[in-house]
Amino acid sequence: MAVISLPYRYLERLTGADKETILQRLPMIGSEVERVEDDHADVEFFPNRPDLFSVEGVARAMRGFLGIETGLPSYTVQPSGISFFVDPNLSDIRPFLGSAVITGVSFDEESIVSVMGLQEALHWAVGRGRSKVAIGIHDLDEVTPPFRYIASPRTRRFVPLDFDHEMSMDEILAEHPKGRDYAGIVKNFPLFPLIVDANDNVLSFPPIINGELTRVTKKTRNILLDTTGTDAKAVTTAVNIICTAMADGGATIESVEINGRQVPSLAPSERTVSVRECCDLLGIELSAKEIAQLLEKMRFAAQPAGKGNVRVQVPCYRADIMHDWDIFEDVAIAYGYDRFPARISETFTIGSAHPARILGGTVRAILAGLGFLEMMPFTLTNERVLYDMMQRPRSSLPLRIMHPISEEHTVVRTDILPLLMEMLQANRHRELPQKLFATGDVVEGIVTGQKVAGVSCHASADFSEAYACMDALAHELSLVYSVAESSDPAFIEGRRGDVRVNGKTVGVFGEVHPAVLNAFELEHPVAAFELDLTAVPGYCVPEDIP
Amino acid sequence: MGTSVENVTQYAYQLSQNGLLIVQPTIEHSYSLTDEGKIYAEKGLPERQLLNSFNDKITMKELQKHPLSKIGVGWLRKKGWVTIKDGIVYKTGNDSVGEDEQSLKNLNYIGGIQELVKRNLVHDQETRDYTNTLTSEGKSIPILKLDLRDEVGTLTRNLIISGEWKNLNLRRYDVTKLPRVVYCGKSHPYQRLIEGMRQIFLEMGFTEIHGGLVQSSFWNFDALFQPQDHPSREMQDTFYLKECMELPGCWESVKAMHENGGETTSTGWGGVWKKEKAEQCVLRTHTTSLSIQHLAAHPEPPVKAFCIDRVYRREAIDPTHTPEFEQLEGIVMDKGVGFTHLLGFLKEFYQRMGFEGVRFRPGYFPYTEPSVEPEVWVDGLGWVEMGGAGIFRQEVTAPFGIRYPVLAWGLGVSRVAMLRLGLKDLRLLYRSDISWIRKSPVYRPERQKSGGEV
Repeated sequence: MAVISLPYRYLERLTGADKETILQRLPMIGSEVERVEDDHADVEFFPNRPDLFSVEGVARAMRGFLGIETGLPSYTVQPSGISFFVDPNLSDIRPFLGSAVITGVSFDEESIVSVMGLQEALHWAVGRGRSKVAIGIHDLDEVTPPFRYIASPRTRRFVPLDFDHEMSMDEILAEHPKGRDYAGIVKNFPLFPLIVDANDNVLSFPPIINGELTRVTKKTRNILLDTTGTDAKAVTTAVNIICTAMADGGATIESVEINGRQVPSLAPSERTVSVRECCDLLGIELSAKEIAQLLEKMRFAAQPAGKGNVRVQVPCYRADIMHDWDIFEDVAIAYGYDRFPARISETFTIGSAHPARILGGTVRAILAGLGFLEMMPFTLTNERVLYDMMQRPRSSLPLRIMHPISEEHTVVRTDILPLLMEMLQANRHRELPQKLFATGDVVEGIVTGQKVAGVSCHASADFSEAYACMDALAHELSLVYSVAESSDPAFIEGRRGDVRVNGKTVGVFGEVHPAVLNAFELEHPVAAFELDLTAVPGYCVPEDIP
Repeated sequence: MGTSVENVTQYAYQLSQNGLLIVQPTIEHSYSLTDEGKIYAEKGLPERQLLNSFNDKITMKELQKHPLSKIGVGWLRKKGWVTIKDGIVYKTGNDSVGEDEQSLKNLNYIGGIQELVKRNLVHDQETRDYTNTLTSEGKSIPILKLDLRDEVGTLTRNLIISGEWKNLNLRRYDVTKLPRVVYCGKSHPYQRLIEGMRQIFLEMGFTEIHGGLVQSSFWNFDALFQPQDHPSREMQDTFYLKECMELPGCWESVKAMHENGGETTSTGWGGVWKKEKAEQCVLRTHTTSLSIQHLAAHPEPPVKAFCIDRVYRREAIDPTHTPEFEQLEGIVMDKGVGFTHLLGFLKEFYQRMGFEGVRFRPGYFPYTEPSVEPEVWVDGLGWVEMGGAGIFRQEVTAPFGIRYPVLAWGLGVSRVAMLRLGLKDLRLLYRSDISWIRKSPVYRPERQKSGGEV
């Protein structure tokens, strides 16, 4: 998530409102105020609104939302006369380039921090960690146009940012901190992306590092912006968001010629949306004029277009508007989520519980009636608990997690009994007798099933108690079964039984083996049982996937 | 005394319940290494061992050959000792000895002990000692006890059928004494809360759905229009499995939707959608994967469905995070339903749960538009965020032939449980103290533990 720092002085100056009003209303455009400090607030914005990742962008949105200045912000772009050549050899490496010239910049601490923060947040939200888009900001006055974006041999040397000596691009990947961080994006290519000026000075090795030559300082007055990447739309989005933020901060934007095209245009895109569709989706009645007014508050240009439509101009920085409904959400936000009535729909349906859940409830009622207390252990466990401590041989059945977070949780449970033994262990200082059960999902292979297990721990717990409980449970579940001598090593030989239904073993019960009791640090006998609920007559498997 | 520690504790407890004894506990912690902890105390934490196993960098493939890589790589990243780019692991140099490592070497150093307890490398043994003092009432008991009379204690079958009971002097009980304690067998307090929530949705006419814990990425992410490069799909947040699942017949329309918006007014995400990525299985990260499958199977209106079930996120365990937890999922699809109805269902549910104050803020979820975050008022806490909701985007519904709006919500259940059951540690729901369950009453008056009026 992007947490943006908003210094009050700069925010108030750009917005034209006091910080109390701004902070109070900010959540209602879609954000969360994380921290309120003496001189700034940290606010989290959603990843679909990268245009709000700068003080300038927030101020622009809040001016509309607070009614200080509504409608489409207009941005004029003059040609800079500067051109940028793109090497066709980059087409398989990092083909797309966006650029702009930004003049009349007057940086102070706050605006430099804002721009750098915006750049980082865009790298995360739009650039996907620089792989999709990387952004370079350069002091234009240190270099000479025209510029070239080329595929360069990896041996090319230049002085990277924060270093005082020349390094080859290969050395940068191995030794520069940014090189090590982002090497993965380029290292498999035979040639590396490089931006140079007319005199072959290096501006940048995207997406890794800029050259020291074009470092931006408080003295910088004119900027060359480059965005490179693997996705044309994302490259343009990044340019538009940075340019509009800097223009709002007082700078002038000029275009650059790339392959014969002037970029950026910063022109809005257009959509015509239906008043009816909007009202139906939101559930409130609004006229075309009202919708247009609400959208103007969200910094769109909008006017009724006849035939029950509204023509909307979408500012170039709103990369999240993919579909008409995205516009309707902005209508709702401008209207105010707090003003919407909450209604119950008239949709008539007859409720029904899922058979598997009904069975679970029945099992709970039966075992509670037998005096058992329910536990709800995790479904994630490990083979040590599931098999080793139970003296059972390891099996290929359990589903293994590829990247477990601890040794405790490496597989999904295939049985519930071992987890109940863990519960007895955790409660071994509590009063006896302890009669516990648990029921729920288990997974074998990738198939989810349901089981129930119970344990009874006290001085006289024995085989006959386990058998009696299992029999009562089976009887109440209408499960006709037979019993065969079991060979389950978790139980004492001669004091264990398998539950058999239609020639298949579907459960086990008996007196838990003393070695297992030792493994779980228990000092009293345990009578235990476990039953596969998918064996219960009429068990309903989850519905089919279409 | 010829009796166990447990019994003495129990007797003392009962005496104190009767006001005869004052029991004052003192609690001390003693820390000891677990078996796993002992190994690491000698050889270093897995991440330290891993770090020491290579020089400046190493390929991930090579590093994974190390027996400790499964545990260690995550910690290496978490601690910022390495960065990983395109399969190469680089040392960052920021790998000074941490608090946890100091504590592992010396258990008397408590700086990193809690971290080690969390990782189950150190066992935290709580020792309770009790100082017992007789109350004045307690001291008077032995004198009363001398007052014995000739009485019959038990009404036997023989006494009943012989008529002898007419001449009996049956011993009187002192009704001012507390009863012997017996415990009910019962379902878990958390389960009872879940049952209450199920009841609300069943009463409102919803169909309950149920499905597998293992889902394809297709149903968990792609069918919900989550782009394949979305950060929430990364392995840091999701439990991926090596197994794959075959895609349903409609996968090509989902692919078109991602790439160009298919036949809707949407632009799609652009880029190239990969089938192989969609086939990989995950432990479901939300039950929305079940909702979309239910809708795909029932594309004609009306549909009202819900489920309350377990979901998985790759989170380290702490008092407010567990790698698995319950989610309350609901969908309503019908002609003429809209945003106001979504708010209506959410408000109705929370008010039936006893939260009088409910409000709504804009939210963002990749598969809904508009999106909303419901909040409820809790005395002493203020507005508490409860989850996410919205109307499924057309990019989600169109590939499955769904023509009407789908209202959808995914709400946190454990958060409500903590509020209602007065718990501060989420872990107690899943690793419960049985004396807490024994004492927690089956029936609670409505609204007792919830928000109250705003």
